[in-house]
Amino acid sequence: MPGRAAGRIRKAIALINSVADDAGDEEITPTEIAEAIRDCLELSEVDDAANVRKYLGEALDAVSDGMPADFVAMTLYAALGALREGGQVN
Amino acid sequence: MKSAEGRGRTLDEAVDAALIELKESRRNVDVKVISEGSEETVVEVTVIDHTAPAAGSAAPANGKSEVARGLVEGLLKHMGVRAQVTVRTGTDPITLDISGRDLGALIGWRGETLRALQSVTNVMVGRHLAEGERIIVDVERYRQRREHTVREIAMRAARQVKMTGDAITLDAMQPFERRAIHLALEGDPDVTSGSIGEEPERRVVVGPRKPAE
Repeated sequence: MPGRAAGRIRKAIALINSVADDAGDEEITPTEIAEAIRDCLELSEVDDAANVRKYLGEALDAVSDGMPADFVAMTLYAALGALREGGQVN
Repeated sequence: MKSAEGRGRTLDEAVDAALIELKESRRNVDVKVISEGSEETVVEVTVIDHTAPAAGSAAPANGKSEVARGLVEGLLKHMGVRAQVTVRTGTDPITLDISGRDLGALIGWRGETLRALQSVTNVMVGRHLAEGERIIVDVERYRQRREHTVREIAMRAARQVKMTGDAITLDAMQPFERRAIHLALEGDPDVTSGSIGEEPERRVVVGPRKPAE
């Protein structure tokens, strides 16, 4: 289903932003963020556009390496952009 | 900076009273709620200084803000966006204001593009920043206006909760908006705020504060 991957990537970005912006009303662990990114990788549609899987993999590595939230977010935005270029997002 | 105190039965009336005195529009002011009761609301309305120079008083003392400003200016140029980037004076964390014509695309749906721009900015400036230090990016005061709007929503919700005793669930909001609501209501002895749901559909719930809280 087109757009499903975009929705999952947006969810992962929202989780990251929540950590970076510190709303102060939830505790988000790196494990949850990694899980959200893995949820994206599970979808076959990420292979329909070039580089989406690559960027998601980089984002996952960044989370496990403890990179800053903004860096992870930027990598996920790159994945979202690649998905758009591949025509998977309206 | 020009400011005025406004009083009224509701928050809107109090802000309007101050705006009339200042002869300003809501877009150009910063609103601070001083007190809010069932009879009267008092606000302090301050005119935003749009003419503050980019290299204002805070900038020379803090070279980081100038570095960030230059990098964002360069980024926008590469994007083909004609806009002016200034450092908002007297703010902590460092806030960059982007202004120009037709910058809606830089804000995006529910501020998504603006948020992405802020992430990219923080990655670019990262090595100049101390650990935990961040840069806030605002386009045409969108973020500031949203904060004002959600604070007003919070005050209205609090009033309703006090009248009815029932909790109210607000629309899904971004983390900085939820944070603004929690901060706006944290001093209120009668209501409490919390959040439910999962990102990006997380919502603030305003409810009556129980006596033991």
